[in-house]
Amino acid sequence: MPLIELKNLSKTYNTTAFPVHAVNNVNLKIEKKEFTAIVGPSGSGKTTLLNLIGGLDKPTGGSVFVEDRDIATLKSNELIDFRLHHIGFVFQAYNLIPVFTAKENVEFIMLLQGISKTERDKKAIELLNAVGLGERIDSRPSQLSGGQQQRVAVARALASRPNFVLADEPTANLDSHTAESLLDLMEQLNKDYEMTFVFSTHDPRVIKRAHRVVTLEDGAIKFDVGGKN
Amino acid sequence: MIASLAWKNIWRNKKRSLIIILATALGLWGCLLAGAIWMGWGESMVDTAIDRDLSNIQIHKKGYTQNNEIVNFIPNGFRILKETQSIAGVKAVSGRTLVEAMAASPTSTFGVKIVGIIPAQAKKVTDIYNRLIEGNYFTGNGRNPIVIGKKLATRLGLKLHSKIVLSFQGLDGSLNYAAFRIVGIYKTESSLFDQSNVFMQQADLFRLLSSKPIIHEIAIRTESARIMPQVYDVLKPKYSHLAVQTWEELAPEVAFTSAAMESFTYIFLGIILFALLFGITNTMLMAVMERVRELGVLIAVGMKKGKIFAMILLETILLSITGGIAGIVIGGLSIAYFSHTGIDLSALASSMETFGASTLLHPFLPLDMYIALTVMIVITASISAVLPAWKAVHIQPSAAIRTY
Ligand SMILES: Nc1ncnc2c1ncn2[C@@H]1O[C@H](COP(=O)(O)OP(=O)(O)OP(=O)(O)O)[C@@H](O)[C@H]1O
Ligand SMILES: [Mg+2]
Repeated sequence: MPLIELKNLSKTYNTTAFPVHAVNNVNLKIEKKEFTAIVGPSGSGKTTLLNLIGGLDKPTGGSVFVEDRDIATLKSNELIDFRLHHIGFVFQAYNLIPVFTAKENVEFIMLLQGISKTERDKKAIELLNAVGLGERIDSRPSQLSGGQQQRVAVARALASRPNFVLADEPTANLDSHTAESLLDLMEQLNKDYEMTFVFSTHDPRVIKRAHRVVTLEDGAIKFDVGGKN
Repeated sequence: MIASLAWKNIWRNKKRSLIIILATALGLWGCLLAGAIWMGWGESMVDTAIDRDLSNIQIHKKGYTQNNEIVNFIPNGFRILKETQSIAGVKAVSGRTLVEAMAASPTSTFGVKIVGIIPAQAKKVTDIYNRLIEGNYFTGNGRNPIVIGKKLATRLGLKLHSKIVLSFQGLDGSLNYAAFRIVGIYKTESSLFDQSNVFMQQADLFRLLSSKPIIHEIAIRTESARIMPQVYDVLKPKYSHLAVQTWEELAPEVAFTSAAMESFTYIFLGIILFALLFGITNTMLMAVMERVRELGVLIAVGMKKGKIFAMILLETILLSITGGIAGIVIGGLSIAYFSHTGIDLSALASSMETFGASTLLHPFLPLDMYIALTVMIVITASISAVLPAWKAVHIQPSAAIRTY
């Protein structure tokens, strides 16, 4: 059973001028522990695809299965709950709640899951140590660099013990050195926690680090290199 | 943690939040103070009316208030007066002999009501003795002493120690004339009362009427205003053959005005809160619009709609309650200050006196008003929160995240 399976997945935006096939009949299987990059030029449909996988958007055709469950069957609030327990999200920027410290940001997602204060504390500190921010747990996002903020976002994504992490251009706002070290971190977590990562990028240096690279063009898969199957 | 998030969110835009907090605080402050002055005025009207002549409970012969003829005295009045004295909760009683009369001076005449009293008894029930501006309250030993109001004195062109002639019907219908010596002139807040009530000793009155001792009215003061209903409940069935009435029944206009003051205060509060409702809604809408992306991220990572709604609601309530508490505190403090010093309205004295209220007002607001107000603020905040929270709940995370 693949962790994620996309069957004939499509998303068409009906703009006034002409329909945009942002994702066009995509079939894709992603297994547990994979470290997959979705790449392609700007406008190729990377964000749209990740949003469909994460249940942030509804497909206009086909289905998304997570562990054989069709997420289209979930009602609005069930879907939010599903995201809370199964998916970790890292966005390009502004991931964090600005009035919360790094630790509170990581804790908050566990609060939503109803985890006890002591466990939240323990886990938040453990994860912030794992992303190399053990010293900065009480810093606000505004007091952290872009790279550090993305590390906090990664820690938060892992805090809910998700099945997989979706990251849409997590390095887009970072310089290449910082981008590399964020990739190091993700790779480390992929190994240590056996966490599945699906991330989009168009940075060649980041693409190099992926174990599997899925290339999109005009919403369709053009290449799929390095997968287990 | 959600509460702390809501609280922290309020202070993200300090200026905007402070403006709405200040508006709430000032609005409530003004409203509370105005309300307290009205309530104080209403209370003053009630208190002065009770102290002047109403007392807490009065007993008459049935039908006396419609037909106040001298023959409608209370049967066995003095026995009943004595009995009421010993009822639990009764502080003092005073029996009054009431006679309609025509007062005449060398220059003018005026219709008055003679109130025949036993001064020692009356002093415990009403405070006319305290309102003398000239002379004394039956402490001298001249013949036929009378105490009249300032207004009547002016009308009839009389002074202290002047002679006043009263004509009135006796029990048998015969017309009596008698001359009295003015030994005291009083002045209350009500010029209406002052011009139409003259006081004399019962003994003098009975002698002039050549009547046995009779009384038309028993005025009862209770230990406290709160115990009045209990005393009333004892008296009412006990003297079912007589008319037992509280001051509220006797002077419904005073009771109504006093109650209306409370209603005014609530209406005024309602108007202020209604205006604030729009300010708060607007502030919170801006707060939600500014945070579309952040709220989108929260929905994306798994914050359910109910929690988002609750967070915005809580934020709105905290914002409003902060202003509300500030308003209640400064309002409460200024009410406490003015209720201590009193507000001197003597500039408006003439119009105030017509209404029968004291010119030195002591504003006050009952505790339940503060509680009701707090509840009203929370309700206002909740209503204000609905639209912003609804907007927040309906943010599409995929669209919100694309906005930078
Ligand atoms: N809400 C929308 N309405 C209409 N068209 C849209 C909408 N969102 C995206 N598109 C279109 O869908 C296509 C795919 O967009 P998408 O954002 O998924 O591309 P992307 O690969 O993530 O691009 P980038 O690398 O610039 O982030 C684009 O042509 C875009 O213009
Ligand atoms: Mg994109």
